[in-house]
Amino acid sequence: MKILYDWLKEFADITAPAAELPSRLSMAGVSIDSVEESAAGPVLDAEITINRPDLLAHAGVAREVAALYRVNLKPIQTKVKESSDAAAKVARVEIEAPDLCARYTARIIRGVKIQPSPEWLRQRLEALGQSSINNVVDVTNYVMLELGQPLHAFDLDKLSERRIVVRRAKPGETMRTLDGIERKLSKDMCLICDARAPVAIGGVMGGAESEISFSTRNLLIESAWFDPISVRRTSKTLGLRTEASLRFERGADIEAAAFASLRAAELIQQLAGGEALAGVVDVYPHPQSLCKIELSRKELLRVMGADVPDREVDEILAALGFAPVRVDVNRGSAGSLAAVWACTAPSWRGDVTREIDLIEEVARLYGYDKFPARLPPAKQPAARLPHAYEEARLRERLVALGYEEIVAIPLVDPERDAIFRPADTTAAVIGNPLSEDASVMRTSGATSMVSALEWNLNHGQKNVRLFEFGKVYEVRDGKPAETRTLSLGATGLAREQSIHQSAREFSFADLKGDVDQILTLAGGARWEPARMPWLASGFAAQLSLSPNGHLVIGAAGRLARSVAQRFKLRQDAYLAELRLEPLLEAIARHSAALRYEPLPRFPAVERDFSLVLSDGTTFAKIEDVVRALDIPELRRIEAVDLFRGGQIPAGKYSLLLRVTFQSETATLTESQLTDFSARIASALGEKLGTSLRA
Amino acid sequence: MADILEKTNLTFEKLGVSSADQILQLFAQLQEQFDKENRDFSAVGVRNLEHSEALRLSWLGRKSGVLTRVADNWLKPATPTFKRTLGEEFNKLKKHVDSTLEEILKSPSADSEGPSIDLSLPGVVLPLGTEHLVHQTYEELFRIFGSIGFSVVEGPEIETAYYNFEALNIPEHHPARDNMDTFYIENAPGYLLRTHTSPMQARTMEKQQPPVRIVVPGKVYRRDNPDATHSFMFHQLEGLAVDTDITFCDFKGTIEYFAKEFFGPQTRVRLRPSYFPFTEPSAEFDASCHVCGGAGCRTCKQSGWIEMFGAGMVNPAVYGFVNYDAKRYSGFAFGLGVDRLAMLKYGIDDLQQFFKNDVRFLRQFP
Repeated sequence: MKILYDWLKEFADITAPAAELPSRLSMAGVSIDSVEESAAGPVLDAEITINRPDLLAHAGVAREVAALYRVNLKPIQTKVKESSDAAAKVARVEIEAPDLCARYTARIIRGVKIQPSPEWLRQRLEALGQSSINNVVDVTNYVMLELGQPLHAFDLDKLSERRIVVRRAKPGETMRTLDGIERKLSKDMCLICDARAPVAIGGVMGGAESEISFSTRNLLIESAWFDPISVRRTSKTLGLRTEASLRFERGADIEAAAFASLRAAELIQQLAGGEALAGVVDVYPHPQSLCKIELSRKELLRVMGADVPDREVDEILAALGFAPVRVDVNRGSAGSLAAVWACTAPSWRGDVTREIDLIEEVARLYGYDKFPARLPPAKQPAARLPHAYEEARLRERLVALGYEEIVAIPLVDPERDAIFRPADTTAAVIGNPLSEDASVMRTSGATSMVSALEWNLNHGQKNVRLFEFGKVYEVRDGKPAETRTLSLGATGLAREQSIHQSAREFSFADLKGDVDQILTLAGGARWEPARMPWLASGFAAQLSLSPNGHLVIGAAGRLARSVAQRFKLRQDAYLAELRLEPLLEAIARHSAALRYEPLPRFPAVERDFSLVLSDGTTFAKIEDVVRALDIPELRRIEAVDLFRGGQIPAGKYSLLLRVTFQSETATLTESQLTDFSARIASALGEKLGTSLRA
Repeated sequence: MADILEKTNLTFEKLGVSSADQILQLFAQLQEQFDKENRDFSAVGVRNLEHSEALRLSWLGRKSGVLTRVADNWLKPATPTFKRTLGEEFNKLKKHVDSTLEEILKSPSADSEGPSIDLSLPGVVLPLGTEHLVHQTYEELFRIFGSIGFSVVEGPEIETAYYNFEALNIPEHHPARDNMDTFYIENAPGYLLRTHTSPMQARTMEKQQPPVRIVVPGKVYRRDNPDATHSFMFHQLEGLAVDTDITFCDFKGTIEYFAKEFFGPQTRVRLRPSYFPFTEPSAEFDASCHVCGGAGCRTCKQSGWIEMFGAGMVNPAVYGFVNYDAKRYSGFAFGLGVDRLAMLKYGIDDLQQFFKNDVRFLRQFP
């Protein structure tokens, strides 16, 4: 809301310069964004909070300034020459929808001359960003900016039977509004009609048919009170926000209706001549009573924690129009803890209905800065989120492995998400998306992860390792569900070329190693072949936690090249997706179960076996065979070297197996070791048809 | 000459040693042999460390060092007559060997063999990752608020209108909903993407009697077109403290503590009256500009102050939704934008950077 400084001064004895007002007003709750010069003097750009429709008017802001500076308000006086004919004889008003329109006043002015507005009026309106139309319309706008009450001027002669009927719209009804647009109306919209047809949408905009034109001679000035919710709903439905709807939807001052049109009549007479008929047609079936509220010092202290002196309370409440009266037994004694002020909320302050509202009024005008700051003592220990510690350990491990944490927006492209969507999952679909590519909530972390890899590759960042702690979302039986997930993504080089070492591509083995490093925290993982449409077949694994082996917690593998191509990724990408909650629980369980193992006192001995194996014989099978021998001194089985080709026939591969033995009770003897080796060699030969190379 | 070394393999008996003079002669020869070996090494020009190590092994080695052999073959079986002389000579030689070895390592070139290291070349670097700035900021906030007794709780992002609006005193058709344009879930009627982390106020208070002191991290969604300061998803931290004795002064003290912890002890704060349906009295919380210290600069648009977040005393109407006695309890709430705080602290001028996840951005905040 733009405010003219000079206009404010018409309503209060303001002496403070315009440049000083912004900081004072801001500290009282009326934020001023800027002060600019205009032909009509300094213009303050005020941000008015939605609870204060009374400040969408110069008189209202002037009252606030007066309260702030403790200066007097000037009474607003109007002088209208009324003719002997009564307005009620000329026009009739009926309210058929009192729930939508609680008061409707009509004032009649006859014999006006429509012409351009004088310079001073045009300047003021233009300084406030309003364009000047003609003297009568400008006056209605002027009074709205002055008093906050939206007015509408009808051409009286275009109102059939000079009758106003306020009613709900009928199904299928339409009307053309001032802006020339044919509007489809729906029930629950409040219409202003004449005897024949709608002439305005109540509280929103007038109709084109009854608009003021240069040939208009006789006027009906509407000043009414429309239900805020109804106006808001109507204006939203029609996509039509006006200065009038803005004020009505926040709550206009119902008691100001008649006075505002009187002020308009005064100005119209001044600028357009004419004869104001006596009185006002005022249909106000249930006059509202003013709200009585008490403010006690006890409650003020309980909420604010520090006191406000009596005089301040009195002056602030009085200046804002709350007419405070001390009603407690101790009245007369200053600073009494029992002090109670009986107040009456003025009609323009519909936002003040409770004691807390008065406390806020006193506090903000007294000054928030006058209340001392102190820290409340804590009564309970502060708790972190469940598993915050386990999550921190996972995170630090990922960072140590060289992964960068990302944060993605979970609103994604449905087509992309569908690629990664687990079977039998229904995505949560946004009913009113901003754009198609952000119209479902992701069902997989991979959706975002691949996008992040794509972004980096497209921006010249070829070697990237990323992780994300996030959520996946779905709808199950009409109810949303959110599951926490940990995603990993990697592409490019695992190690970049340097003076110390050569470059190396990130491979499946890197992914496996990294994932295993993380899952060690939970006691390790099992990798089993899996089929997933978005992972390359043969390079896809299902992961389950080792201790029980049944708890599937995710998948890992190489992004299928068909998918990579869709995203125009020109290099292989590796992904892993883990369900976070079971993982965190497993980490907690595993750490709780950790126990010390005494360090071995006797030396460990390694024996290498050079094996030639058929393709398809897995390392796990070899391990199983060796472990099945139940050699208690067996400590470790490692694959040290693997190669194909050369002297190794096709369909076979060579594996260098290293087995470590160690006893807890003695140094192993040569004959024991020979025996172990022989048993392992023959078992491998028997069970796997392995031949031992020299 | 080298046969002196052979002699150390034999006992005095076999060598036919029968006088002290002979012993002195043997040790003289040994020392001569040692000095020769030392000279030979120097002449070849091996590195000092290898040189001393080789000499140490051949002379002091535990299994076959020359002096070990002398000790085993000469010293141990020696008759009392020669023992004294032998001992003295042995110690003399041992001392000579020790001090020579020490000298070799002491020489200035011992630690800097070959061309010296170019210290400006990089070392072998194992790449480390980074934690996202949003997460880092959350961690700092948890630390700050944890230190004054705020527990962390979380809630769903897909919320009901009831918790997101109604229970916060924002009924349907309330104009406050205009500022929080909302995404609705089409296939889960009644659900929406929360527009703030405030729904956890009611969710927490429904389950728990005061004292309540929580912070709520999480993603929030508003149907705003993305630009440098808007994103349709961003991060908030909600704070809520409710008890029998929480006042506006406690509210001020708490957020002042936060501002000084987060932006530094020189930070000044101010509260400007404002309006939010779920707080009353409400306030906008400003901190003195951490860039210019309040003098006025580009960051604070010359005002010296930076708008931080909205906050206030919990509106008693909110207690009505969770069956708290508004006459008995009071409290405060605040909702701060985590991404915005990070932008301010690190001078980031584009909110979109947070969610593009370009590693060049991520790596700026190790």
